[in-house]
Amino acid sequence: MAPSATTDWPSPSEIGDNALQPCFVLHKALPRKYEKRSKEFNSDEDESSYEKLRSEAFNLVWSRIETAIKDVLKHSTSHLFKELHNWVHESFLAIKSSATCSLSEVTRPYPLLVDNLCRQLFTAFVLTKNIEIVDDLLTFKELGVHLKSQGCHIVNLSSHEFSVKHGIAGCFRSLLRQLVTFASNTPDISILASWYSEEANYDKPIVVIIEDVEQCSSMVLAEFITLLSEWVVKIPVLMIMGVATTVDAPRKLLPSNALQHLQPRKFTLGSPVERLDAIIEAAFVKPFYGFNVGYKVALFLRNYFLRHDGTITSFVRALKIACMKHFSMEQLSFLCKGIIDEDSKVWEKTCQSLPEGLLKYAANISSIKRNNIDGNVGDALADGISELMRLRNNWSAVVMCLFEVGKYGKIQLLDIFCEALDPSLPNCKALKRCLEEGKDHRQPLRRDAILRDSESLNSREGTFIAQAVRKVRDLPSASLHQLLKFWARHTEEIAEVNHKVQALLSTFEVEVDGQVVKQEENGMKRNPVSQRLPNMEKDKSQVAHEKAAMLAISMIRDYMVPIESSPFHEIFCFKHVDVLQSALIGDPRKTIQTDLLRSHSYLQCSCCSASLTPSMHDTSILYNLAQEHGDLINVHDWYESYKAILVGSSTKSKAKQKQSPTPKKRKVTDEPNRIEEASIQYPFLLLVP
Amino acid sequence: MGDSETVVKTPIRVTRSSSSSTTTTTTTTPKQNSPQKPKPGSRSLKNTKASFSDYLLFPKPITLDQLYSSYPCRKAQIDELLHLIGPPNSPMKPIFIYGRPSSAKTSVLLHVFKHLNRPFVYSSCKSCYNPRLLFESVLNQVFFHGKQSTNNYASAKRCEKASDFMNFLREALVHTIATIRENQRPKGSKNSLNCGAGEMIYLIFDNVEMIRDWDSGLALVSVLFKMGDLLKMPELGLVFISSASLDSFYGNTGLMELVPVFFPSYTDEELYQIFMRGQPNPKLYSSFLGVVLKTLCRLTKRVDELSVALVPLFRKYCEPLSDLRVIPDEAMKRKLFSCLQPHIMPSLNQVFKVESGTIVETNKEKEKRKGILRKQGSGETVYEVDFQMSDSAKYLLISAFIASKNPATLDAALFDSTGGSDNRKRKRKSSVTSIEKKDQAAQEMLLKGPGTFPLERLLAIFQCITSVTDGPIEREQVEDGLTEEVGSCGLMSDVLLQLSTLCNANFICKGGSCPLEGSTRYRATIDEDMVMKIARSVNFPLAKYLYRR
Repeated sequence: MAPSATTDWPSPSEIGDNALQPCFVLHKALPRKYEKRSKEFNSDEDESSYEKLRSEAFNLVWSRIETAIKDVLKHSTSHLFKELHNWVHESFLAIKSSATCSLSEVTRPYPLLVDNLCRQLFTAFVLTKNIEIVDDLLTFKELGVHLKSQGCHIVNLSSHEFSVKHGIAGCFRSLLRQLVTFASNTPDISILASWYSEEANYDKPIVVIIEDVEQCSSMVLAEFITLLSEWVVKIPVLMIMGVATTVDAPRKLLPSNALQHLQPRKFTLGSPVERLDAIIEAAFVKPFYGFNVGYKVALFLRNYFLRHDGTITSFVRALKIACMKHFSMEQLSFLCKGIIDEDSKVWEKTCQSLPEGLLKYAANISSIKRNNIDGNVGDALADGISELMRLRNNWSAVVMCLFEVGKYGKIQLLDIFCEALDPSLPNCKALKRCLEEGKDHRQPLRRDAILRDSESLNSREGTFIAQAVRKVRDLPSASLHQLLKFWARHTEEIAEVNHKVQALLSTFEVEVDGQVVKQEENGMKRNPVSQRLPNMEKDKSQVAHEKAAMLAISMIRDYMVPIESSPFHEIFCFKHVDVLQSALIGDPRKTIQTDLLRSHSYLQCSCCSASLTPSMHDTSILYNLAQEHGDLINVHDWYESYKAILVGSSTKSKAKQKQSPTPKKRKVTDEPNRIEEASIQYPFLLLVP
Repeated sequence: MGDSETVVKTPIRVTRSSSSSTTTTTTTTPKQNSPQKPKPGSRSLKNTKASFSDYLLFPKPITLDQLYSSYPCRKAQIDELLHLIGPPNSPMKPIFIYGRPSSAKTSVLLHVFKHLNRPFVYSSCKSCYNPRLLFESVLNQVFFHGKQSTNNYASAKRCEKASDFMNFLREALVHTIATIRENQRPKGSKNSLNCGAGEMIYLIFDNVEMIRDWDSGLALVSVLFKMGDLLKMPELGLVFISSASLDSFYGNTGLMELVPVFFPSYTDEELYQIFMRGQPNPKLYSSFLGVVLKTLCRLTKRVDELSVALVPLFRKYCEPLSDLRVIPDEAMKRKLFSCLQPHIMPSLNQVFKVESGTIVETNKEKEKRKGILRKQGSGETVYEVDFQMSDSAKYLLISAFIASKNPATLDAALFDSTGGSDNRKRKRKSSVTSIEKKDQAAQEMLLKGPGTFPLERLLAIFQCITSVTDGPIEREQVEDGLTEEVGSCGLMSDVLLQLSTLCNANFICKGGSCPLEGSTRYRATIDEDMVMKIARSVNFPLAKYLYRR
């Protein structure tokens, strides 16, 4: 849902742009789509048909991005699911081997009489690595589905079921409802036992998944655990608990008599940062879906992720809003659909057959204004876009290469991505310095290392790319070899670079082979000293590193052109960070307050003006009065002035029949006046919080 | 009559192969007069009279020797129980078995009944966590009622009040005892094992101490204890098992004539004997126990806790060995001991050890641990918080920690000097008046643990902290003022939401409201190491803000 037009109070920076605001107030039915540059549009027909095209394009692009994101997330959890399934299987076998229990014995109320009775619940702590649980709710649901398909009984419980209010009956009721599909008002373990002893259900593990252990009431959870552990031989229950913070959390939460019944195992979900990197890679860097974010927007998204709540969910939502805003604001954005799907000739024609208005608009796109176009705008547009696509492909290849480096140095793709989008990147001081460093590579690296250490704190924030380049130099040879292989794969489309990478790779391979052999020989003779290779060889490997670093630098310089510095990028690139910000964070309170202060400008009735009049809405009057008083307001004074406005004007309209008596002495007031006072007091009381 | 004969005959034909069932019994008990074979299918035939063996008897009785041998350290208690329960058909006083947890109370008693092969009803107050479940569990067994999908897993009777329970129970017991008598006669002639069964029925209530925590639990306990007197049935025997002694059930139950049977905790030698049972390599295990048992016994003498603690230690102990069947000599023992020794003391503190699920991860962890150790040596620590937390949550947590750790009087001094301008709490007066007073207060506070604080104080500190550190955070985006604005906006957007998140993660707990102010007070429950890590991750100089003596 696009936020309705009324909530988007223009921020100060936008006001200049929105001088045409009044004329869209008439177009109430249309959301803010035409707010910007709508003067180019003349015919309504075109407008609506292109609007339709744009919304189609949005649906297409977003559905693609969304599926890409979903695939990434699914991929990130799949191996955990496999591990958990193995664990379930092993634990189930362990329980079964600890004691044999015949079908009829399951329902007996007394415990099995065997030695070494297993009274421990096998428990998997799944560390979700995020203090907010939102992202992982779905993961646990999917985990349930996955394990169910592998032949387990699954119960998904959440912390709500472990509340002090409902006690242990609450969680049992929910457990039985999911397993037995029948809600008893006396939920207890004997029902579970008899259900489990039924032929169809027997001999399968029951997996209880608790999403957010930290939020459970520790008392109830402890009781639940001790109870289940009594029965674990008869009813093989396994627990999977989602832990948001650290592994210590359950230990702090549960009393020791419950803890001793757990046989814990730790599993880890990918951290949100890793997942976010994967999402960025899948949705923005690798393929082109016809939508990109500008530098400022990317920075904003990054900050939004880091500062706001750090969940993928909110990030994706922000992205979706950005995408939606882009397609609604950018008139030519529908072109992306053709670029992705059709071959170049077809959409070149589309470009040329654009109506006059749109072509004019295209010619006025700010990025193209700089280098004026002569001749046919349509052709220029087609050319420009194909050029843009080429630049972007190069860009993404280089970013991927850098990301591969980043993997070794714990540099996030998100950071690299943001930085690579920066249109001022080529002018960036830190990067320049880094590139210069690369040039005089003959200087000894030692000094470089010392410098880096002292600089690292300063340069870390600004230049992740510079860091990555440095990292190339510091990589161990084996990793560098690996890295070059990745580079070769990523740069397949840039023939020139690929050629260089291959050349480097081949020389490197020889060198590395020699080195490896040497190292092994050394290792045989004097193990501890083997690290110190002879100087010559070290130099050799350094040359290779230097070459790789130089290659990286040249790639960055020549091929990583930020999308914002190429012509026609506005069509695909969303740059309006203020729009996104107001849509996401908004400032509802501020908006309401400013609106209250200037309600007359919205209502546009004849009676109202900037000054307070009784015909204004009560809330507006009260708020205005409160503003006049500053920080604190005495309720009595407030009421007095409120009344003064209402009464004063009414007496004025009654041609000043008489001055109203002092309101303090209400008892003295006469009958009609009292009625009036009541009608004043009532709204006042309603409104005063 | 001819009809009834055919009715009788068909079941005989069906069961002929299974046993030489006598046709002298009534037509309703053609099946399952042999208690040895409770087939799963047979339970679907509910409420047949003979199914009492299914519900009330153990499938395979054991001999006295087996009984003694399975509990070598409990001979005295077994003898006492056998004596108290007495020969068949002898009324008994209610027995109250008590002793520490995991001292084999329940299993000894159940084994005794397995030996005696007398009908009993067992209900654990742990599994049945409220009176209704307890009542219904007992009644279900007495009525031979099983919860099944065919009866919607319902109980035999709906019973919530103790008085109802007594009525139902009397009714049921009369019925059941009649059944037992009926069964007794033919069986006595036929089955030698059933000889001693008698006409008694025993009710066993396990974990009675749990009842005390229920609503009006003590009243229920006294009703249960008095049950023998209330029902006035000599055929009924009562046994209560509790981990708390009789005194803890108030004085009013003292009037009841419960015969206490105490199960003492095991001694070290007994524990040794218990753990030695069923070991594949007794010599090796004995040397292992000789090393660790004494130390562990100082902490706990519970068999269950010890057995859990012993498993990983034994694994460690065996690590140097290639063949587990080896019989250790002195030299080897000494060697093994020296290998194990460093692990014993840490294991005492480690009740709960979380093993990692994946091999890759364990390796990583080891590396990490090594890394941390190394870094600690060099002094330059780079700790990382290994879970995601938004920056505002981090600052909020830091401020909560400061609020909990420092006395409120210190706030003004701390935050005014560092330039926090927003602090409206002017408590400078009290903070400068006397240092001694402050010291005393601080000492007191240390004794009390983390202090509580109102929300307002938390927010004030939060604002100070963020205003102080805004500079360094935003430095990376100084070039464009826009994002700077964005950043600070994000920090301030939903502090209350973040607070609830932190509460959910148990980093901050919501205390009770202050009786004087009436507002909710909070308390930071996070440990200092974690806060230090978090502070480091946002480059916040937390140490400067903490009050230390």
